[in-house]
Amino acid sequence: MTRLNVNGQSFDVDVKAHEILSDVLRNQLGLIGVKVSCAEGECGSCTILVDGVPATACLMLGRQGERHEITTIEGIGTHDELHPIQEAFVEEQGFQCGFCTPGFIMMAKAFLDENPNPTEEEASMAMSGNICRCGAHPYIVKSVLNAAERMQGRHESKRTTGSTGASA
Amino acid sequence: MNVLHKPKKFKIVGQGIPVIDAREKVTGSLEYGVDFVLPRMVHGKIKRSTVPHARIKRIDVTRALALPGVLGVVTHEDAPGLNWMGVWDNYRGQILDGISRFVGDEVAAVAATSVEIADAALDLIDVEYEPLPAVLDVEKALLDDAPQVREEGNVRDEYRVVWGDLDEGETQADYVIDQEMRYKAQNYAGIGRNACICTWDGDQVSMWTSSQTPSELQTGIHQAFGIPMSNVRVVALPSGCSFGLWWSNNFMMVTALLARKVRKPVKIELTSQECMAAVKRRHIEITRGRMGVAKDGTLTMADFSHLMDNGAYGFKTDVYFFCCDLWGGARNGDYRVRGVNTNLVTSGCMRAVGDITMGLAVERLADKCAHKVNMDPLEFRIKNQIKSGQQLRMQEPRQHMKGNLTDYIDGLTEEQTGNWPKMFHLSSGSTHELLLKGAEKFRWHERWKGWGVPTRVNGSKRRGVGVGTGAHCCGVEFGGNTSSVVRLNHDGSVNVFSAAGRQGQGSETTLVQVAAEEMGVPVEKVSIVTGDTYVVPWASGSSASTTMFRTGWATREACRDAKTQLLKIAAREFFDGIDHEKLDIEDGIIRVADDPADNRRIAIDELMNVLCSDSLSQTSVITGRPNGVMPPTIAFARQWAAQFAEVEVDVGTGEIRITDYLAGQDSGTVMNPKVLKNQVIGGAICGAGFVLYEGMEFDPSDGRVLNDSLLDYKLLRTGDFPSDPEVFFVESQDPVGPFGARGAGESPAAAAGPAICQAVHNAIGVWVDVPMTPETVMRAIKENEGPKAMAS
Ligand code: FES
Ligand code: FES
Repeated sequence: MTRLNVNGQSFDVDVKAHEILSDVLRNQLGLIGVKVSCAEGECGSCTILVDGVPATACLMLGRQGERHEITTIEGIGTHDELHPIQEAFVEEQGFQCGFCTPGFIMMAKAFLDENPNPTEEEASMAMSGNICRCGAHPYIVKSVLNAAERMQGRHESKRTTGSTGASA
Repeated sequence: MNVLHKPKKFKIVGQGIPVIDAREKVTGSLEYGVDFVLPRMVHGKIKRSTVPHARIKRIDVTRALALPGVLGVVTHEDAPGLNWMGVWDNYRGQILDGISRFVGDEVAAVAATSVEIADAALDLIDVEYEPLPAVLDVEKALLDDAPQVREEGNVRDEYRVVWGDLDEGETQADYVIDQEMRYKAQNYAGIGRNACICTWDGDQVSMWTSSQTPSELQTGIHQAFGIPMSNVRVVALPSGCSFGLWWSNNFMMVTALLARKVRKPVKIELTSQECMAAVKRRHIEITRGRMGVAKDGTLTMADFSHLMDNGAYGFKTDVYFFCCDLWGGARNGDYRVRGVNTNLVTSGCMRAVGDITMGLAVERLADKCAHKVNMDPLEFRIKNQIKSGQQLRMQEPRQHMKGNLTDYIDGLTEEQTGNWPKMFHLSSGSTHELLLKGAEKFRWHERWKGWGVPTRVNGSKRRGVGVGTGAHCCGVEFGGNTSSVVRLNHDGSVNVFSAAGRQGQGSETTLVQVAAEEMGVPVEKVSIVTGDTYVVPWASGSSASTTMFRTGWATREACRDAKTQLLKIAAREFFDGIDHEKLDIEDGIIRVADDPADNRRIAIDELMNVLCSDSLSQTSVITGRPNGVMPPTIAFARQWAAQFAEVEVDVGTGEIRITDYLAGQDSGTVMNPKVLKNQVIGGAICGAGFVLYEGMEFDPSDGRVLNDSLLDYKLLRTGDFPSDPEVFFVESQDPVGPFGARGAGESPAAAAGPAICQAVHNAIGVWVDVPMTPETVMRAIKENEGPKAMAS
């Protein structure tokens, strides 16, 4: 049995030596927010935090997760109680299909923990390790900046209502 | 000057509400195909061909079957004649037929108790191939003595759009310029992959998979396996970004075949490599063209011939190019398209098909003409592009249509066409307003310094600006009609049932907005099902920018129908028999419209619970459906994009950086500005990727895809595109679209390439082939310097 500490809870799981961490989290713990696309460390959609540091779960063995604090998107916020970063992504619509989104949010979490007050350029640079094929790029960056404001209690929700002349 | 057709007061149309599945997306709980599981499910894997073209002489599965945990294997011997034609031309072939037509083609499949066992069993299937000659080059595939990929031959009938007389156009021209452009295939490179889960119980087949087109898939299964459509249930799950990739794919049919064999729920989950090398891609395309221009800037002729490869199983005759309409002001035109098969992975419709490729060639050649007569590219577009109300150029039907569109329309009665817009004429919008408004916002006249003249030079870095335009359809009818059904519940809530896809374009949200606006209820009162063919009416699905225009039309019509039924009951039971047309609903309350003095009010839920005078019971069924049919949209509706880019080119390294971006979109009434902005910029980024980095590489010896991973296939990332692009809308309302809305997702992808390419040209004075990688840029600069250096 392998003991995994995930999102503040402990689990004893039967992990075979060759099993990939993302598979263990998804298939055994039902954490489908760990989205796997490339499975080779390139796209970042499977990003989780290992002791607060972002890691691609598709490149880790399940047993490597032992003795670490693992956080997945499920540990960040819930449907009824979103994390400010998640609220920001909703408000800025920092996604289209949403497949890459948990990975971006996990990356943003680690980034904002380090740099709570980033510039647009820093946010854009920090997000460039992940891939969004839908092309939500500018809105992802805006989400990160919006989240920074929220986390510092400086955010006023803006409403997009008018149908003409909306600027991005 | 910005006084556009200002919509009458809408309550919900135009609101940037968050998409209805936003919370699921940000919490990771949204279930895509890969996330879906069923109890007792087993796992399938596909054995793929290692050769580009071969007949399978012998296939032996004994060793695979003997592996513990293997439950069954299917080969072409299990699928004689199982043929699904696909409703469209993106796949035409049998499920498995004993011939392999590209490296990666499906040869067999295994079901086992685990993915690992299924995988291991693939190696235990012994295949003996009898090699056939292969053709891996699109031009060679045209030759008479080329190896034939398909029984029908390689070459499809030519598709042609003609107007006027080219010879005349040539006589009228002061200059005729020609050009050839070659495009590598763009990979969908879909983040999200896909899986298909299928059960075959008795004579019931159920399938869960990420798909844009649930109904087409239902038809496909019905056709292939000969089971009644009523016994086929397809549940289209949301997909990762699709762009046309996840529509109906053969791996789904293979999953059904396996499920039939083992009679257990089977899941086939594709790897990223399979998605990038064995499903589908954009065509390899070549456009040759000539354009004639008079000194006053009038385009006198447009003569284009376009070749595209369908890969192994595509069957398209043309690329659905609407650039011929965009540049419809050319006095004479002849556009010819030919599709040919090759022994390469299947190709098909990818976002802005045709308009991203052929459209780029037309725009570039038009730019060269403008340059020749020294005219501003913006003025040149305004002068030569189509305006609202003018005749469309693309009128004739495709090979797979029954008969001829003109004959069909001529044959309709006046009653049938009563309030249709004028057929074969543009119903609304154009690039005109977009270009004017964009020029102002972008300060175009200040920033554009002339053809091939940089805006700014700083050492080796040169900045230039460019403008590009793009067009596409708003859905087409060839894939089938569109439909929507709505149901009104006792509590006043509304269910919408529409066949549509959820690939991130947000149309489930915008359709809900259409329904809420028409029904006069808050958005929270409307819920929608788009994917389950057990409940949604058959419709062509989400492709060709159909959903807002066609499905939105159907949804509004269905709501109108339900509303009429409701208001008739209200008139009878509550408003003393008043003409129901005098009633209206606002915020779920029925009242007499336009009569503030009349203070009678009844809420929908109250009325639904009134014991009616005719039945002595409450109204239990109000279901709305569209009355009448939608006019053929290809005969009148288009979407328009105009985009402005500033780039910085380093002439020392060949690197291109986009430094400023403005995207204008005319898709009629904006249903949801947040959704539309995302579509517009997502499109621009897709187009930017296509002209800057993307291109598939095939092994010249056997056609296998060499860059089948995101490691080797470069996509734009944040930082590669400005983080603060501006988007603006022109809302020229369409007479048919729901509340005046039209399609949106594809023209933005078509406009980006021309804008960026022109900006590069203006920065460095050279036209660069696409993708404009640093090497290509450097080569173009060198080639240009060569003759100049010699001349001086
Ligand atoms: S799935 Fe792990 S990085 Fe792409
Ligand atoms: S939202 Fe689809 S890949 Fe990013």
